[in-house]
Amino acid sequence: MKKIAVYSASLVGAFMMMTGGAMAAPSCGLSNGQKANGEPIKVGAIVGQTGPDDFSSSGDAAQAFFKCINANGGVNGRPIEFTMEDDQWNPEVAAQVGNKLVKDVGVVALVGSGSFVDMAVNAKLYADEGVMSMAGACAISDCYESSNIVTAAGGPLISSVGAAQWAVAHQGAKNIVCVTTNIPTSGIYGCSWMQKFMENKGLEASIIPLDPASADMNSAVLETIASGADTVLVNMPGGMAAAFLKVAEEQDLRDNFKWISSTPLYDADIPAALGKYWTGVLTVNAELNPIDGTGPDTTNWRAIMETYANEGDPRDTFSQAGYLAAKYFVEAVLKLDPADINRASVTKAIQAISGKTSDMMCGPYYVGLADRHLPNHANIMMQLVDGGFKQVSECTQVDTEYLAPYLAIEKEMGISN
Amino acid sequence: MNIYGLFIASGLAVGALYALGGVGLVLLNRATGILNFAYGALGALGAMLAWQAMQWGAPEPLVWLLPIFVGAFFSLAFGRYIAPHLSQREPVVKAVATLGFAIVILGFMNLIWIDTPRKLSLTTDTISLNFAGLRVTLTRLIAFGLALTVALSMGVFLARTRTGLMMRSIAADRDVAALLGTPIRRVETLAWGLSGALAGFTGLLFGSLVRLDPATLTFLVIPMIATTVVGRLQSIPITFVAGLVIGVIESLMTLYKPLAPFRAMTPFVVAIITLMWLQRGRLLTFANED
Repeated sequence: MKKIAVYSASLVGAFMMMTGGAMAAPSCGLSNGQKANGEPIKVGAIVGQTGPDDFSSSGDAAQAFFKCINANGGVNGRPIEFTMEDDQWNPEVAAQVGNKLVKDVGVVALVGSGSFVDMAVNAKLYADEGVMSMAGACAISDCYESSNIVTAAGGPLISSVGAAQWAVAHQGAKNIVCVTTNIPTSGIYGCSWMQKFMENKGLEASIIPLDPASADMNSAVLETIASGADTVLVNMPGGMAAAFLKVAEEQDLRDNFKWISSTPLYDADIPAALGKYWTGVLTVNAELNPIDGTGPDTTNWRAIMETYANEGDPRDTFSQAGYLAAKYFVEAVLKLDPADINRASVTKAIQAISGKTSDMMCGPYYVGLADRHLPNHANIMMQLVDGGFKQVSECTQVDTEYLAPYLAIEKEMGISN
Repeated sequence: MNIYGLFIASGLAVGALYALGGVGLVLLNRATGILNFAYGALGALGAMLAWQAMQWGAPEPLVWLLPIFVGAFFSLAFGRYIAPHLSQREPVVKAVATLGFAIVILGFMNLIWIDTPRKLSLTTDTISLNFAGLRVTLTRLIAFGLALTVALSMGVFLARTRTGLMMRSIAADRDVAALLGTPIRRVETLAWGLSGALAGFTGLLFGSLVRLDPATLTFLVIPMIATTVVGRLQSIPITFVAGLVIGVIESLMTLYKPLAPFRAMTPFVVAIITLMWLQRGRLLTFANED
């Protein structure tokens, strides 16, 4: 599997140059410019850094945010000691590092995790130990169906259905084929709910599951032709998707279908990787608002990454989600008595988060006490244009039955999304 | 448009890649007795450097030549400075050493090229002809043609030339070959260099046709090894045909829905069935004394 979305720092830099604005000074926490020297607050994150793909950009963003916090008064004088562990996309390693952080290190919370395995493996551990994970990048269903995990990213289901919904409304799609990885809790999870969405509209849909290890994208393209669909939804990590689209280009299929994708292809490297062939043809769903936005959070996120992150750390959707997780975490713990910051008090503070709005998200971010969390269920569409993307839709609520329990929770909490 | 024709043509295109890789592996094994697990990594390194050269604006002929030299260079380095120290060890130890070499190269690539979607676009990707309703690019035709040419020429080279005979004698028994005056270092160096050059060029084609990703390209050596197993690590023609057959079966499985998601296992299923058939009534060990 490949990186879900990576935006190059250069695009952000180019954007800043275009807008002619100097990079604003980063703002975080107390913003008093004083180094925090008190007793550290231990926070962890688990990311899938090495393995089929580097899925650590959300953790990198959280780390940058915490560096900013520590240089600006900390949490009322207490610095954040951030430990980021690599699960290597390996369930056994994920269990080991989960236990290490929660039981040995004794973190008060996990912030900015990004993984394909951590959430499935450690959801029970987090619940049993009463620790919250404010994740960044979530590609599997367990992330959205656990009491102690919450993320600002919408995930493959919301992104796939969002893309299909747009294609039906704006391109007249009547039969969508979803080409995806054969991972039940990720690719199939997203595509099967897209299929239900289409069937509920009296339309048709099918799924082509692919083994990420397969060298043969030709057959997938031939299956796509045989599917009888009028629209192709590409729901795969970026590298796989690029390989699939290359073979589709070989067969010159651009004009035979309408082409849409879930978030992984909203990636600054994709326009160059795909070439001009797909310009104006491929439209990609973005779970959060554009990375070159001018709102306060998007601007501040870029400034923090510029000042506190490594140059090579991706500036992508999941980096945005990691930033939001870290920001909301700090806002929650800043309300606590610095002498009384422990796992129980932090968990309670996180669960009390409600009604947080940001220019990065279409709706409010909240946590609450529910057995599942999915605050972000609205998104936008970005079309591939020469050398980049342009936004082609405003924030749209995703229309899927999957959201029923979440909407009931929101109703109970008095949240209007 | 005949649907079976389409899928067979598609399968041959992928099968040619398996065949090309398999033939290079058998060549080295027949000359040195080593199963080179680093074959995919050498190709991946060649492909990544070719992509990098392209990004820096290198002319395309250089982009094509670079992986050949890179593959040959690193393969020679291993063959010259590491492999001789393992010459007295069991075949499995030698194979594991190459696996270690593959992991080192992969780690190096992950360090240099952070993981991001990339595409290796060769001029030959833009030229295509129609075959049974399927557009086949010149890159795929080169892969097929090269696999066929290499299989034929290497088969003849090993069977009919003096150097080929020396390579086979070294693989059969290194000590006896040395006693008979075979210039072991020179012959093995030649085999490592040839195999490495082939690995580099295969990597370039794979990078363009499959996916330009170090890990994916590195581990494509596994299905390639499956084709060599069918050829019992000895027969170049059987390995070549096995590559094509595996590619076609894998492609045709797409038409049978229940099995379609599992078609990536085709090389291994074919290899296992072949092994079981070949080993019927015999005791299988890692060494070749069975």
